Amino acid sequence: MQQSHKPQTPILDVRDLAISYETRYGDVPAVRDVSFDIQRGEAHSIVGESGCGKSTVAFGIVNFLGRNGRIVNGQILFQGQDLVGRSPEELRQVRGDRIAMVYQDPMQALNPSMRIGDQMAEVLVVHRMMPRARALDYCVTMLKRVQMPDPENVIRRYPHQLSGGQQQRVVIGMALLNDPALLIMDEPTTALDVTVEATVLDLISTLQREFDTAIMYISHNLGVVARVSSKVAVMYAGEIVERAAVSDVYLSPYHPYTQGLMRCVPRLGQSKRESFLYPIRGRVPSPKNLPPGCIFEPRCDYARDLCRQRRPELRPIKLGHWGRCHFAEEIVQMGWQPPEDFVAQYTAERSVDAAARPLLKVTHAQTFYPVASQKLIGGKKQFVRAVDDVSIEVRKGETLGIVGESGCGKSTLVKTIVGMEKPTSGDFEFMGFDIAMPVSKRKLELIQELQMVFQNPDSTLNPSFSVGYQIGRPLRRFQTVPRGQVEGEVMRLLDMMKLGGRYYNRLPRQLSGGEKQRVGIARAIAGRPEVVLCDEPVSALDVSVQAAVLNLLLEIQKEIDTTMIFIAHDLSVVRFFCDNIAVMYLGQIAEIGPAEAIYAPPYHPYTEALLSAVPIPDPRAEQKHIRLEGAVPSALNPPSGCRFHTRCPRKIGKICETETPPWRDAGNGHRIFCHIPLAELRQMDPVVTVRPGNRLGRQHA
Amino acid sequence: MAKYILRRLGFMALTMLLVSIAIFTISELAPGDVARHILGQFATPEQVELMRNQMGLNQPVYVRYVDWLVGNDWRLNGLVGKPLKQYKATTFGDLNWWAAEPDGTLKQWKVKKGVGLVEVRVTPGGEPEEIPFDGWQVDENGEEVFWGVDTASHVVLWRRSSTEQKVGPASAGRAMTEASGERYYPIRKGLLRGDPGISQRTNKPVAPTLARRLRNSFTLAGIAFLIIMPLALLFGILAGLQEGSRMDRVISVLSLITTSVPEFASGVFLILVFAFWLKLLPGAAVYASDIAPWKDPKLLILPVLTLTLVEIGYVTRMTRASMIEVMNAPYIRTAYLKGLPYWRIVFKHAVRNALMAPITVIMLHVNWLVGGIVVVESVFGYPGLGLYLLDSALFKDINAIEAGAMVMVALAVGTQLIADILYTFLNPRIRYT
Amino acid sequence: MTMDAQTASDRKRNMRRLSPTELKRPKESLRDRMSIILRSRVAIIGLVIVLFWVWVAIFAPVISVHDPLAQDATAINQGPSAQYLLGTDALGRDVLARLAYGSRTILMLAPLSVLAAVIVGTFLGLVGGYFGGLVDEIVMRILDAIMAFPTILLYLIIIAAIGPSAINVVIAITFVGAPGVARLVRSLALDIRVRDYIRAAELRGESPWYIMFFEILPNARGPLIIDSMLRVGYAIFAIGTLGFLGLGLPPPTPDWGGMISAARKYIWTNPLSVLWPALAISSLVVGLNLFADGLREESTRYQ
Repeated sequence: MQQSHKPQTPILDVRDLAISYETRYGDVPAVRDVSFDIQRGEAHSIVGESGCGKSTVAFGIVNFLGRNGRIVNGQILFQGQDLVGRSPEELRQVRGDRIAMVYQDPMQALNPSMRIGDQMAEVLVVHRMMPRARALDYCVTMLKRVQMPDPENVIRRYPHQLSGGQQQRVVIGMALLNDPALLIMDEPTTALDVTVEATVLDLISTLQREFDTAIMYISHNLGVVARVSSKVAVMYAGEIVERAAVSDVYLSPYHPYTQGLMRCVPRLGQSKRESFLYPIRGRVPSPKNLPPGCIFEPRCDYARDLCRQRRPELRPIKLGHWGRCHFAEEIVQMGWQPPEDFVAQYTAERSVDAAARPLLKVTHAQTFYPVASQKLIGGKKQFVRAVDDVSIEVRKGETLGIVGESGCGKSTLVKTIVGMEKPTSGDFEFMGFDIAMPVSKRKLELIQELQMVFQNPDSTLNPSFSVGYQIGRPLRRFQTVPRGQVEGEVMRLLDMMKLGGRYYNRLPRQLSGGEKQRVGIARAIAGRPEVVLCDEPVSALDVSVQAAVLNLLLEIQKEIDTTMIFIAHDLSVVRFFCDNIAVMYLGQIAEIGPAEAIYAPPYHPYTEALLSAVPIPDPRAEQKHIRLEGAVPSALNPPSGCRFHTRCPRKIGKICETETPPWRDAGNGHRIFCHIPLAELRQMDPVVTVRPGNRLGRQHA
Repeated sequence: MAKYILRRLGFMALTMLLVSIAIFTISELAPGDVARHILGQFATPEQVELMRNQMGLNQPVYVRYVDWLVGNDWRLNGLVGKPLKQYKATTFGDLNWWAAEPDGTLKQWKVKKGVGLVEVRVTPGGEPEEIPFDGWQVDENGEEVFWGVDTASHVVLWRRSSTEQKVGPASAGRAMTEASGERYYPIRKGLLRGDPGISQRTNKPVAPTLARRLRNSFTLAGIAFLIIMPLALLFGILAGLQEGSRMDRVISVLSLITTSVPEFASGVFLILVFAFWLKLLPGAAVYASDIAPWKDPKLLILPVLTLTLVEIGYVTRMTRASMIEVMNAPYIRTAYLKGLPYWRIVFKHAVRNALMAPITVIMLHVNWLVGGIVVVESVFGYPGLGLYLLDSALFKDINAIEAGAMVMVALAVGTQLIADILYTFLNPRIRYT
Repeated sequence: MTMDAQTASDRKRNMRRLSPTELKRPKESLRDRMSIILRSRVAIIGLVIVLFWVWVAIFAPVISVHDPLAQDATAINQGPSAQYLLGTDALGRDVLARLAYGSRTILMLAPLSVLAAVIVGTFLGLVGGYFGGLVDEIVMRILDAIMAFPTILLYLIIIAAIGPSAINVVIAITFVGAPGVARLVRSLALDIRVRDYIRAAELRGESPWYIMFFEILPNARGPLIIDSMLRVGYAIFAIGTLGFLGLGLPPPTPDWGGMISAARKYIWTNPLSVLWPALAISSLVVGLNLFADGLREESTRYQ
């Protein structure tokens, strides 16, 4: 698998790697036949959905497979030497010295009871025999290189005293201490907010240039991969199905799976009116039960007899572009047509009567949480101002999206609307009724009209009850249908969710994440509510599943004309799905208006920064480079004046610190909460520009 | 930190107060008349009534609670008209209450058969002497009465007419004061001032016995603790390091078995093996009175061993569970990926975090340890606090039960406080917030 | 308390009637559970020991030829013989018969007291954990105060106060055990009540009782069952200890702890009459704990 045009030995050369786990059901082949190489100074990504084996490959390289995992075949050549079969002691000396690894969730990765300095320094003490004092000095230098503010102090602190972004810098700095030849990064930014992620990704790119390290970057996020790496390998069900330069894979993918993946992702700036998401049908085969031929064959639109009989090899299709498909060349020639009924299903335009009375109207809402005083007796009671003076209106049939980073108050706002939190003040009017009260005080008829879809598929369903019972429960409670017809109605809902009656008696643990989410949606719409609030309904799902669930929600919008409030942190998804969008920052709305208006100038400076931070899965896209400094201030004691002034790159002066900004009305319901005059805001350049070029398999309406 | 400890101490005081009320109420309201219990089946109702009167049981419960907690000598001063003082008049006698004159002489009064009331007078350092009494006062009904202190630490109201009659003692078996007074108030210094009262079982003050018994129990538990901790932590860590290994399985099952065998059963096994069949060690721990247990260490071996067997398994299992959890933590993975040597990972990263949980849980386990002590002491006849409490409970010796219970609860609550403070100290996540 | 449990189970029955398919579980689940038990050798050994004692308790009249209370003045403190297989005690009673009938006593009282403790504790734990706030604060403070007492002290005080009898032993063990159950259930409830399906139930306007007993409790059952089994072990331990200390069942009821306590005085002349009941109670508690612990290890290992 040597690349002919690069004469030097690759830093990492993985050949035919296969890893199996022993379980009570026998050996499970988690990774099969994986080959790739990474050159010096190159950033190579491995992308794939959860469970595809990308992390297993990484742990195989560092020999961390646990007691029941083992490498059953293949070679891992590191700087020309095979790591497979070496003694544990030899491998230990390589780990942390020449191969370093960074992975998800930095808070968990650091020892909670050891000071940062000690944790970092021991790498040098163990591998370089450096005295502790010198090692600590060196750690300070390294922390400076990873742009850690106040490094002398940081080394004396404990992990919990740092923010998530700072912790990740520590982990990255720790990995780079010995100047490793290979740095493996496993989803290093997945746990971080989008603006923090952007700065960490910048840092990784900078460090890659400075240290000339080979980076193996593992991610599920196509956008992140496009930003950090030059080459990418796409994994599916334990195998690499395609491998090439990022632009080749993204713009002209050969493998049907990669093509499908690209069609699943909403692009930033596209909406449901002008484009579709085409989910990949079926589900990933279990590694216990793989198809005999091509692993993607059961889900492939082009599958033929050969695909069912013979496993394709990963083969060079053109220079530097490998694919694991018997018919890659033909498929690209053929082009791709969406299923016929598909377009008709989702195209019907819905009209929202803009003049109609709003269904839901929230004015000057405030929701504060009291915080226990630190003092022994007395002391002033403090409040987390989670939602502070927010006003929104939602009309019948409309979808309002609420975006913002974690802690911006979007979830609290929704919880207050549905009655799970008590509002501190403000008017909450729904269908003409006052709903400024907890759900336990509301009338059952009112409760029925406001239902919710939750984020986490694993906790949305009660593990003890069958799917049918859980969907039927609201039907009985709200008496949506007569008693005798409950079962039939549940069946109808299951069909609508594309699940079918055989799911009736299943327990949640027998369902996949996407299926659980569908059941959760069915339960929410069972009582035929006027408004459905969706709290990040797709953010825990893989992209292909995400597309299917989003389509399902679109169908529900269309068929039963449900009004929705949709919370998400993914700006592409919100843009795709919503008619109107509110951008929240620290308990307040920074900007609100029609979806297309939010993504084009004039911007609120915060929206502009958010948009420029979003990783876009398109190598042709160019974004403005705006990075926010510092962390989000505490909602316990928010900044005076404009809350964004502490981090605003466009701050105009003292006025931002002292006075509450005015609402700038840009017309058509688009309003911006900023001191900068509208005329000036209008002169901003668009954040994202895409160089023209044809996109394979993507239809525009 | 100081604030935190202060707050916890405040809570502890509050808990103890509630506990004292609870203990007092339960033992006072327990069915069965204490006086009847002491006097036995054959006492007449009059004798029982007199006994209740002398024990102060006819006063309202809350008065008795306050008396019990903080004493009543300061309140009873007023009745006698002189300050009350504790004094030990004879070498072998008990510490008694006396009424003090301004010149330092101490006085008690008692009824002599056929004579009537006499005054017992002593000057500190001197011998007590009896002199005739002439201090009767006339009350509103024109009768001659007198408030004084009797020789068994009661404030008594005597009536001249009744002291000169012959009245038999209330109990034959008990060294009883003359049953001649009309009203009795037992004088107490109060638990908080170090006097839990007189044991009804032994008719001796509870405090000195309690102190001695506590010392003995501490000796027993302390030695057991010193043996248990290092061994249990070692076994727990060894087992937890390699979950599922042969070593882990052996340690887990053995520790489960030793904790499952009740102390009285394992005590019996040990006695049978070491005392009966091998004849190596004494099978009971009966000491000549008051001798400190460490003076005869051979007697301690089996009790300590029994206690160790039961507790060591528990601590081992806690440590093991905690160690397993830590070894699966992501930061241990980080340490591994940093290429640290195995033992460095274990000692620098795992052990400290793994010991945090068991140390607090072990400290909380003191409640179980106390239970073990009661049983072990009972098995071997070891003169510790547990056996004292058990004997008192079986006899319904209220003063002794209450005092012993308070001491035990104080120990338990105190240990929990120490455990919490230790935990905050060990855990930087709490220490720096 | 029992009233609420009653209404809850009534409601459950009503729901069953509405739709028979609803609460049906797949068969696979039972087989899973059996396979967990069979996988752990430790659990099997424990189960065998426990079943042995259950067998002894059921067939006590068959096993023992003699009346457990009958005194034979001609055979006092004897070793094993053909007539008395395990010997006799100080009053000339057959040790085997007393052991067999003693297993009945202990195997009735222990599960009964654990059941009572679990019912009381579950109720308190659910109420505290779900409602939170002041209710939780009050319930938990009281339970903490009870738990601050050394266990043995509680037994001593309770038994000293209400006197030794079978029912009082059950009351004492319930009182001592319920706070532990309540804490466990509360911590489970605190964990479960933030799950989204609880929020979904609240958004359907379900009553707190429905949420506590139908949404939360079924999902707490796994840990609760294992904890209860461990508790049966503790309860046997406690009943034995009380009997040994003279606070258990009043004589002449055959009771293992009491048998040890009585025979201990004659340990130098008749050591075996102490050994048998000590072995009996040890093996039963060990068996129960091995079973419960083996089960817990296996069920957590593959989660």
